[in-house]
Amino acid sequence: MVADAKTALSRADKRALYSSELSALVPKGQVLHTDEDLRPYESDGLTVFKRAPLSVVLPATIEEVQAVMRWASSRQVPVVARGAGTGLSGGALPHEDGILLGLAKFNKILELNAEHGYARVQPGVTNLAISNVARPHGLYYAPDPSSQIACTIGGNVAENSGGVHCLKYGLTVHNVLSIDVVTVDGELLTIGAMGCDDAGYDLMALLTGSEGMLAVTVEVTVKLLPVPPVAKLVMAAFNSVSAAGDAVGSVIAEGIIPAGLELMDSPAIVAAEDFAGCGYPTDAAAVLLCELDGTEAEVNAQIGRVSDVFNRCHATALHIAETEDERLLLWKGRKSAFPAVGRISPDYYCIDGTIPRRELSTVLSRMDELSKEFGLRIANVFHAGDGNLHPLILYDASVDGETERTERLGSEILQLCVKVGGTVTGEHGVGVEKINEMCVQFDTDTLNQFHAVKAAFDPAGLLNPGKAIPTLQRCAEFGAMHVHNGQCSHPELERF
Amino acid sequence: MTNDASAALLETVQQYVAGANPFVIVGGGSKSFLGCRPAVSEPPAVVSVAEHHGVINYEPTELVMTARSGTPLSTVISTLHEHGQQLPFDPPQLPNATLGGTVACGLSGPTRPYAGSVRDHALGVRIISGKGEDCSFGGEVMKNVAGYDVSRVQVGAFGTLGVLLDISLKVLPLPESTVTLMFEQAAHDTVPMVQLARQYLPVTGAVLIGEQRFIRLAGSEAGVKAAAAQLGGESVNDDGPWTGVRDLSHAFFDDIRPTWRFSVPDYASTLELPNDDDGTPAATLYDWGGAQRWVKTNASAEVCFAAAAGAKGHATRFSEAPAGAPTHQPINGVSARLQSELRASFDPHRLCNRGRFHPELDS
Repeated sequence: MVADAKTALSRADKRALYSSELSALVPKGQVLHTDEDLRPYESDGLTVFKRAPLSVVLPATIEEVQAVMRWASSRQVPVVARGAGTGLSGGALPHEDGILLGLAKFNKILELNAEHGYARVQPGVTNLAISNVARPHGLYYAPDPSSQIACTIGGNVAENSGGVHCLKYGLTVHNVLSIDVVTVDGELLTIGAMGCDDAGYDLMALLTGSEGMLAVTVEVTVKLLPVPPVAKLVMAAFNSVSAAGDAVGSVIAEGIIPAGLELMDSPAIVAAEDFAGCGYPTDAAAVLLCELDGTEAEVNAQIGRVSDVFNRCHATALHIAETEDERLLLWKGRKSAFPAVGRISPDYYCIDGTIPRRELSTVLSRMDELSKEFGLRIANVFHAGDGNLHPLILYDASVDGETERTERLGSEILQLCVKVGGTVTGEHGVGVEKINEMCVQFDTDTLNQFHAVKAAFDPAGLLNPGKAIPTLQRCAEFGAMHVHNGQCSHPELERF
Repeated sequence: MTNDASAALLETVQQYVAGANPFVIVGGGSKSFLGCRPAVSEPPAVVSVAEHHGVINYEPTELVMTARSGTPLSTVISTLHEHGQQLPFDPPQLPNATLGGTVACGLSGPTRPYAGSVRDHALGVRIISGKGEDCSFGGEVMKNVAGYDVSRVQVGAFGTLGVLLDISLKVLPLPESTVTLMFEQAAHDTVPMVQLARQYLPVTGAVLIGEQRFIRLAGSEAGVKAAAAQLGGESVNDDGPWTGVRDLSHAFFDDIRPTWRFSVPDYASTLELPNDDDGTPAATLYDWGGAQRWVKTNASAEVCFAAAAGAKGHATRFSEAPAGAPTHQPINGVSARLQSELRASFDPHRLCNRGRFHPELDS
């Protein structure tokens, strides 16, 4: 079988061959190969990148996934797994010579165990669906990415998704107990444990956030937490972004870890208010949303202290949500900041970097300069508690060259995040989008070690090839080298 | 006082790598009783990180500390306390323990089920791999998904994936108030602790010792007071059993039989362990709300591993083991193959702490 993969088949021949072979592995109707059928799978949430796979296969059982992986391994065909396709870094962008493994049929909640606080679900179940079934039992699944209504838990595991409450409740990696995965050669194994840890290396931590590069997740057991009895939201307005940033540091210094602590700048406030009508002060330079949750006694004790901190930090207005409806409305504004910005600009591009919070003012003023330099507007939403910045670049893809200019500006912003001690991605993943900037963040030895880890799981490099970790060749071409101890990091490569 | 010995350490490791010479990694030596003791004739080469010490970066409002691996754990903790902060996983404070050893052994104290583990708080590491390469993973920010999460994988790897140089951890504020409550109950019954975990309360510890259940509450003063009133029980005036349980110095550990740690689901039933030859049953102390069980027994390693597997967990010997005896639940099948490949990706010649962790991954 391997032999004819190497012979020069035309794309159409390959498509026909793969489709007929895959059709023998899964029931009728679960292999797609016409141009029309493939079109919806050409991109994920990062739509600037589009590419058709040779076929799409939609297995419905673990055995079918195993059969497909065994086939792909023996044929040496690249495989890209996909959940709901809401990812923002092109992690589920198909491979042109490969197949797309759609896991949408894995959409069942297999077990909800309220007594022991866990749910066992298939990877295509949406994030919010888990909390919805758990809530009648007084439980929920804590990570809440803004796309939670649509994004799947399998995708959350692949990206180590966060959300607005992860300062207090952690990321996906802190809230998943175990996963069942299928390896590149079709073997099934369980990773993680129902206790607090497992024997051997922490593969659960390694696979979480591995962007589909190490194995295919086919089942997920998540931890369910008791719903906090009380949640209260304080909204504070400031007349500068740096004053709001300082207020965040002061809350932490007070010894308080809010459940969520979000900052929006003026363009984001105005857009969100226009979209959601949630009562944001549109004349403010920055707004902080600070949520405190816990028992009634705890929340009541903390809300006063947080209000005092904000007043000390020169908040120009302070408002505590009076009802549950109002609290949810204030969150709705924040969570819909992206589509809101989408209404004031033909297109927007969401950047995802993390910075040490103390660098906020520096980064925002430099971003302001870059915005002017590139002639593109930027709105900022910021998971301020944990330093995760989401600048939204507003552009118009129909204007010649503006998309490219936007991408260049995005790259500049990410490199700025690395320069101040941060990272190119806090929660959206590297995918194809930030692969060049990885060269700025990591040196040669570290990148080589990442490739070695990949090879330990997938020696032939068939799972989601070309994503997440750049080759050294690519770094040389990108030309933005990581300079470590005054030495350029890829001396072995010729320069372009 | 701080000292950066990374250049010297790199040179030493590179020499051992060049000579394919296995070496053991030592910090303060406080956990030398842990792990397998390979049956070797000559004393192995030693890489000591003790001289690589000091806090490199600590900005309390960023909730992050970066320190060198040889930094005494006591220094890390006292520095944090000075700023009203703590290591949330409250690791065992054995005499001479270093930060590096704590991370390499992946040890968390009684707060673990409520506040998270060492790995949950690992943000970044700089290591020397078994290839003699100086690599930095993760970073000093709380949200970071650039590249594989190698930092967390280093936690609990017993140094078999490289020599830890610098470590960045997420830290948290100290609680304003702490209260310990004691309840009389039936021995070995973890149900009350499991039920407690399903309620939203500021719990930071739950242990069952004999017929006494201790619950620790920590948080804001008003919150702790209200929770204590809700739970009832008897308020304990001193610190309670926490330090002794955390540091393995509680009277329970005076039993001269070997100590085993069982990590199982908190709801697992009583472990099936045979009585000793003289008919004495195994003794169990339930920590982590039932998810970590300290067991005193003369049962063989095989019996302990079987009991742990039966409870869907794993067992680790926590007393010095005879040379050549296994100390960690054996790994097999596909997982063993992948973990062996993972080990090889960092240390192809299995030079770092060979035979100390899971010998089955070293061949």
